[in-house]
Amino acid sequence: MTEQLDHVALEVSGVSKAFPGVLALDNVSMTLRTGEIHALVGENGAGKSTLIKIITGLYQPDPGEMKMFGKPVKFSSTRAAIQAGIGVVPQERNLIPRFTVGENILLEKMPVQAGAFVDYRQINKEAQKWLDVMRLAISPGEMVADLSAAQMQLVETAKALALDSRVLLLDEPTASITTHEVTFLFSVLRDLRDQGVAILFVTHKLEEVMELCDCVTVLRDGRNVASGEKIAGLTRDQLITWMIGRPQEITELPPKQLSSEEPALELRNLSAESGTRDASFKLHRGEVLGLYGLVGAGRTELAHALIGAARITGGELLVDGKPARPKDVSTAMNKYKIGYVSENRKTEGLILSHSILFNVSITIWKRIARLFGWVRSAEERSVVLDNVSKLDVRTPSLEQRVMNLSGGNQQKVSIAKWLAAKADILIFDEPTIGIDIKTKYALHDLIWDLAAQGKAVLLISSDMPEMIRLADRVLVMKANRIIDELPNSHDYDQMSQRIMQDLA
Amino acid sequence: MTGISLPKPASKDNTSALWRFISTGGGGLLIIVLLFTAIMAIVSKQFLSTFNIFIVLREVSTAVLIGFSQMIVLAIGQMNLSVGAIGGLVVVMSGGLMEVYHWPIWAAVAAGLSIGILAGMLNGLIITRTGLNAFIVTLATASIYLGLNLGLTSAQPFYKIPAAYKAIGQARWLFVPRMSVVTVMVIILMAIFLYRMIAGRHLLAVGGNAIAAETSGIPVKRMVILSHSISGFLAAAAGMLWSAQLGSAQPMIGQTWILTSFAVPIIGGVALAGGSVSLRGTVLAAFLIAIINNALVHLQVDPYYVQFLVGMLILAAVGLNRLAQRQPGGKKGGVA
Repeated sequence: MTEQLDHVALEVSGVSKAFPGVLALDNVSMTLRTGEIHALVGENGAGKSTLIKIITGLYQPDPGEMKMFGKPVKFSSTRAAIQAGIGVVPQERNLIPRFTVGENILLEKMPVQAGAFVDYRQINKEAQKWLDVMRLAISPGEMVADLSAAQMQLVETAKALALDSRVLLLDEPTASITTHEVTFLFSVLRDLRDQGVAILFVTHKLEEVMELCDCVTVLRDGRNVASGEKIAGLTRDQLITWMIGRPQEITELPPKQLSSEEPALELRNLSAESGTRDASFKLHRGEVLGLYGLVGAGRTELAHALIGAARITGGELLVDGKPARPKDVSTAMNKYKIGYVSENRKTEGLILSHSILFNVSITIWKRIARLFGWVRSAEERSVVLDNVSKLDVRTPSLEQRVMNLSGGNQQKVSIAKWLAAKADILIFDEPTIGIDIKTKYALHDLIWDLAAQGKAVLLISSDMPEMIRLADRVLVMKANRIIDELPNSHDYDQMSQRIMQDLA
Repeated sequence: MTGISLPKPASKDNTSALWRFISTGGGGLLIIVLLFTAIMAIVSKQFLSTFNIFIVLREVSTAVLIGFSQMIVLAIGQMNLSVGAIGGLVVVMSGGLMEVYHWPIWAAVAAGLSIGILAGMLNGLIITRTGLNAFIVTLATASIYLGLNLGLTSAQPFYKIPAAYKAIGQARWLFVPRMSVVTVMVIILMAIFLYRMIAGRHLLAVGGNAIAAETSGIPVKRMVILSHSISGFLAAAAGMLWSAQLGSAQPMIGQTWILTSFAVPIIGGVALAGGSVSLRGTVLAAFLIAIINNALVHLQVDPYYVQFLVGMLILAAVGLNRLAQRQPGGKKGGVA
């Protein structure tokens, strides 16, 4: 066993990479051994992505070299890296939706029959082998488009393994799957590790590093802060200090007052076309109400019913005590003052190629329009500037294109949009997904402040620490129904245990 | 360790070519086609006459090829606006070879098909080499191919086409046009190509997710060129059948194809974004278009209004088809 641990699979040494104006990587080294799970962590902009792109052949290092199993390698393309045995599970899903699971897994080397024909029997047989490795109970003949996010994630991993990869790189593999599925993924990864695969695990989530990984490489500002440190003996605080360069200060959230008036939002046995069944709860001003559940539990679908994006089919919806029926998003926003910050900020929440000004002002044009839809640009600017500066969006100007902002600032722009719309009830759907720690806590403070200022906040999240930090009460959702409501004791172990019991 | 809750494995097998042909796409189209036929049968006595069925099937034969010519490019998420121009160019070239140079039919047809493939390949090459959008490239080459056609012929048709060539387009067995043999063969070959052959799967993979295809070692650029070449081949076949049917090599053949070429695959359920094709749907849509065109003749619609009505009916057909797909078991609408 010790012998195997010393077996170096991939060695990156002295790698630097410069882009016009920035040194993205500065003399970075990392050693990946077979039979270990190696974490690569760092804040956004620390150089993680650049390093990944070098390992996967998308970039070539300026100086610096790489060795695989002792032999020097140079990857001129992604293809070359794959052929050398580096299996990659990218952050973005990279499967072909209208193809079967088996075809996707074996796309690289489709079994051929009589020279030019696809051998489906062989595909299914071989794919089954990899599905078994992943302990996935789906048939190789199933369409990828019909799978859940977690299943696609695992199929993608199977696809990377099917190339006989000795090095497996997973880039933020848990970004779109939930705790329960993460546990499953981890057990599979441990199996693979024990079978001698070298795994590089790129993540933002320190809980995952501590739970799963054997050692860790930390990058900050393009440099190694730690290279291959053993996890055993490390504390979470030490990791954070490495990542952000100073100990983390988690500010105590100040106390806030819950309004005793009528609830801002009340649901009575609400059912909707999107799947929601018999949902009942009350949400007060000044409150952060958590809505926890696994992917597919129907949380986003419930939000869609509240903002008029899915038809309500039964039960009652009351806004400020009065019956409400938002027939479309525009009515939900303008009449009932409900705003929804989407979990897919890049595809649903924002128009990336447009300016901040444009993105925020979308919701206010109708309100500030004069005769014939004339919008005074001074008025538009002042409303936008007001809200953007309130949220502390870091940008040189309002004309900045949203695609050039960091994830955290993008999220702030999508929040600013709803504040500009004067929304009183704010629904946040996975607000900190894919956002680094520093910004994550800033967003937590922001959500908290909004509630303290009297907004009613519904927080949809599958990030348990986030839920337990922010929520006043937690609703637990499963199979389109709200199955429990828990007061939040803010005690992580106790709360997470109770919630997981509900979901079991 | 318990696994994640996963849905039970699907019992259907998605992998047989025959099953895919039957099951993919189409939706409510069959019902709409039967409905149109039934209405026409009631309204017009001649509609179901042997000769009229022959006429309709003959139009279906070319419409399928024109539709496939566009479909194969839609499959990779691109468009080909030069389908008609390629068809027209091939018609006059093969016609000229037969009339002026007295080439035998087989040689002229082979030359015509080669010209079609080359024209399509040129589209593909320009697109992959320059990185320009297929829309603008084929818009330009459409004008180039048409210009070449008109320049070579001074817009004069070739009339002295061999009788055997005309027979391909005009002869029939009862109500079955002889030229439908070509179309049936093309349908079978397309099904085998797209659903069973490595190249076909690669081509669809490029349309489904070009990045995934690239990183899986699929030669994306070669697939783009292949797709456009096949498109050119099909446009050439459609053009030559059309001229055989007319009995002359008209330079203006192809000028009216643009609507057909898009309407047939799109009504048939082919995704504009690429990666998903429906052969059955496309064939059914060709029937629908042919029946609509034929019906307008039988109903003695003012010829100046035919274009208007064709547009309206296509819109109605697309709408009906969408409605039919939404019905029982269909995916829910609303926010994705």
